[in-house]
Amino acid sequence: MASQDGKKPILRARGVSKHYGGVVALETVDLDLHEGEVLAVVGDNGAGKSTLIKALTGAIPKTSGTIEMDGHEVQINSPTDAKAAGIETVYQDLALVNELSITKNMFLGRELIRNDILGRLFGTLDFPKMDAEIRALFQKLDIRIADIYREAEAFSGGQRQAVALAKTVMFGKRIAILDEPTAALGVRESKMAMDLVRSLKDHGLSVIMITHNMQHVMNYCDRVMVLRLGRLAAVRDVKDVDGDTLVGLITGASEDKAA
Amino acid sequence: MTDMTQNSSTQFSTPSADGSSFAVLKHQFLQIWQVLAALVLIYLVFFTLSEPFRSLDTLLSIFGQASILAILACGTTVVLISGGLDLSVGSIFAVVGVIVGIALAEYQLPVVVAVLIGLLAGAAMGALNGTIQVFTKVPAFIVTLGGLTAYKGIAEILASGRDLSRFPDSFQMLGSGYLVPMLIMFGVALVTGLFLTKTQLGNHAFAIGGNEEVARLSGVNVRKSRIYYYMLGGVLAATAAILEVSKLNFAMPARGQSYELFAIAAVVIGGTSLFGGRGGVGKTLIGMLIMQTIIVGLSYLGVGTSVQRIAIGIIIIVAVYWDVWRRPSR
Repeated sequence: MASQDGKKPILRARGVSKHYGGVVALETVDLDLHEGEVLAVVGDNGAGKSTLIKALTGAIPKTSGTIEMDGHEVQINSPTDAKAAGIETVYQDLALVNELSITKNMFLGRELIRNDILGRLFGTLDFPKMDAEIRALFQKLDIRIADIYREAEAFSGGQRQAVALAKTVMFGKRIAILDEPTAALGVRESKMAMDLVRSLKDHGLSVIMITHNMQHVMNYCDRVMVLRLGRLAAVRDVKDVDGDTLVGLITGASEDKAA
Repeated sequence: MTDMTQNSSTQFSTPSADGSSFAVLKHQFLQIWQVLAALVLIYLVFFTLSEPFRSLDTLLSIFGQASILAILACGTTVVLISGGLDLSVGSIFAVVGVIVGIALAEYQLPVVVAVLIGLLAGAAMGALNGTIQVFTKVPAFIVTLGGLTAYKGIAEILASGRDLSRFPDSFQMLGSGYLVPMLIMFGVALVTGLFLTKTQLGNHAFAIGGNEEVARLSGVNVRKSRIYYYMLGGVLAATAAILEVSKLNFAMPARGQSYELFAIAAVVIGGTSLFGGRGGVGKTLIGMLIMQTIIVGLSYLGVGTSVQRIAIGIIIIVAVYWDVWRRPSR
């Protein structure tokens, strides 16, 4: 578990636990994320993957544990705290509001206010500026959605995921956390989404990604951590493992000797 | 990447849609034309069936009767869009009417002061509804059902033993005739519409009503916003109450009864979703006009109040059915 290559982790969580009354959802899990890497989080249903990232991002209060960024302890008690620390999260099924346009979704909670008397007095929004920023970003990421004033529900799963990932590029200063970015996507759309994930790296983001897809772990991730029954079962460099070993670690068939 | 490109541009290509205001306007018109067409159709039906219905006076009286309720319904629209519900606005209406009546008739306060006190009282009661709801997590239906009876009781206590009538002429001007209430209605609708579409807080109403959890995770202060929406509902109920007290030249606690239901009916007929996340005040105005046209039209045809109520009831159910039916994937 020592940080590899002597590199300082950008994010370092220690002893993160989440108990619901007597039920242990997550028990003293440690996590290190290095600058510029894609870290996969895998595990069976109920292993605590979603709980872990929700606890990390302040979406749910954690029972115990500390979080450091760049070696300094940070208090992340709400989604707003996480955003302020430069962490953007794409929650599964909770990425976009169906009824809102793409523009409004992208800037939800961080709308650009007009820089004039209307903006200061009434919080009047600067739609032209928001639209322009989105169009520029979509062009950069090669996402060709023209109707950005159209409600999110009008778009396909792949397009919606692309929008959610674009949001992390727009606002994520340090870290993008993705909860199953390819869940409910077809093969072709999955590949497009994963290419976008890969490009997050180029935009200076370090990525934590929950996934069920071993192929994606092998092809797109640098390291992988395995959760089992709310505990950390193993952490490996992807180049040191194969799919079968990972499945063994996930199910508990093969115990981890290295950790 | 190029795959996604083709997919999106073939399926959703609108070459003109460079975020131009024309495209947005067209989009908004497409959402509203059905209710607008329904309004025109209903008007034409009565126009054909009834000779006296054809006068300009009738048309003005439809607007006049719609105006006070429409102002209240603008507040209801905002609350419903945000996924909330306020059943107590009819009782807030009663309390404010009585308070303004007392301020004018008993304390002889200047009209401006009395109006301001009324608006503040409405804001306070609305905010109280919202606050109780977001902090206790008791469902809006229950909190505001409690408000409905509690505020009603307050109005009765405040009014008991008082003669709340004969107000100064300057106050009576507010609600007299059709023109002033109508102008105030359009003014309120315009301001509320701009609030919903142009401001951050207004936009958050759609986000919270659409998916409260996504809004929260996106950093929207859901509780605080909700309290503001209920407060706005209270202020607009107060505005409507002040106009009615002015129009009638008396105040009594029995006023405002069932207004919350008429407001919700108008909002839903107009096409604002009862489930939150969609809608607008333009739709509500049309919904209110549809309702009043039916009421006025039926009375011109000699149909009694009871049958009018049955008709409105059926229309509400049809409108909600339409709302449920057109919702995608639910």
